[in-house]
Amino acid sequence: MIQIRNVDKYYNSHIGRQYVFQDLNFDIPIGSNIALLGKNGAGKSTLFRMLAKSEYPNAGQIITDQKISWPVALASGIHPAMTGRENTRFIGKVNGVEDLDDYENKVKRFSELDKKFDLPVATYSSGMRPRLAFACSVAIDFDVYLIDEVTSVGDASFKRKARKALFRKSQTSSVIMVSHQMSELQLFCDSAILLDAGKLVFYSDLDEAIERYDEL
Amino acid sequence: MATVLKRNQWQIWKDVIFALMVREVRTGFNDKLGLSWAILHPIAFIFILSFIRGRLDGGETHSIPTFVFMAYGLLLIQLFLTVFDSASKAVKKAKPLYAFRQVQPISPVIASSLFEILVKVMVFIGISVIMYLMQMEIRVDDFLALILNVCALALFSVFFGLMFGVLSLFVPELSKMQNLLTRPLFFISGVFFSMRDVPPEYWYLLDWNPILHAIELSRYSAYTSYGNTAVSTNYLLLVTLGVVFLAMLIYRSLWKSAVSR
Repeated sequence: MIQIRNVDKYYNSHIGRQYVFQDLNFDIPIGSNIALLGKNGAGKSTLFRMLAKSEYPNAGQIITDQKISWPVALASGIHPAMTGRENTRFIGKVNGVEDLDDYENKVKRFSELDKKFDLPVATYSSGMRPRLAFACSVAIDFDVYLIDEVTSVGDASFKRKARKALFRKSQTSSVIMVSHQMSELQLFCDSAILLDAGKLVFYSDLDEAIERYDEL
Repeated sequence: MATVLKRNQWQIWKDVIFALMVREVRTGFNDKLGLSWAILHPIAFIFILSFIRGRLDGGETHSIPTFVFMAYGLLLIQLFLTVFDSASKAVKKAKPLYAFRQVQPISPVIASSLFEILVKVMVFIGISVIMYLMQMEIRVDDFLALILNVCALALFSVFFGLMFGVLSLFVPELSKMQNLLTRPLFFISGVFFSMRDVPPEYWYLLDWNPILHAIELSRYSAYTSYGNTAVSTNYLLLVTLGVVFLAMLIYRSLWKSAVSR
């Protein structure tokens, strides 16, 4: 369970504070795979980043004892001047991976970068970077994976592979996912959280949530 | 799949700072000269300037060789300028990395300052080796005092940089002023002059500057005969302590909102 307690989150702007959440209280059940639904600007990414502690609420707390991944977006934390291998080692070291060499091999195998793994990321095609980012996260054992649109990039064969890996993950740990492709969400998620006007509603049935979302 | 270690806060910091330092070294020097340039460039700069200056006068400034006099001044002002610069810029530069909750703004600051400090230690050794090869006298009368002064200055630079870096996220104008503020320090910190050349009635214009104290005190600890006119270790240490305290205060209260910016 991830407990959200009295959370305020706002961004300062020249026309005053822009509140995303105000006095938010919510429990996110862990154990199911959850889709985050909401319109543009509803605060999906903000909530996502706060769950990962990449960002902090202005007030209140988010409490959990789960091991949560970083928000795996298209190329988070990957330096273009370093090779795929160096980036992998960096991410592994920061996250406290026990056996870095082993981790390196897993990422290399999964990302299917072959020789490119030892070339700077700047030389990668736009589809290869997210492949690396995704491989880096899926190769670590987390309790909760935060996945932001990454499974929708790459070529068809990698997509299949990523989906398969994520599907396997979703059996043993939880996945919280943001995507604008409903088919994607229906593949992995069984429940959903709908964000609207700073409020969160949990639906144990994804299809019901999608219906509600379409009505918005 | 790769399992994750349960680490305590110290181990996380250690791992993160190590990883960031490797990243710094790896990405900062991509041409053929590589890392060696970071060390050779300041050595050449300090050596040439000190050497020419040493040749211009009789070779002695207040009882110490002018070469040594200049080398301490240049090395220490560069220590301040580069550490301050990299520490203050590290806060913003590492922004994409704050996606990993293990990376907090102070880690890139420590990593990049530690790197700059190590470079300056290498430069110090390099210059000593050149002096040895040229059969110049190498003398440090009070090595412990020298280490104390240099450490105090390094600490001052890191935390001053941290404070500046965090604040400039909230007041972006600060980073534009940065050059304007630090450039004059090159000329008023006693790099080119000694406090003994300044009449006592004008000391108040200069002696507020802790860098000046560090430079003059380092010369004094190398050659006791140089004297410690107008400077004091206590002042240097107190200012350092004050800046460390203030920087930590600001950091602690602002880092979470700094990450969100």
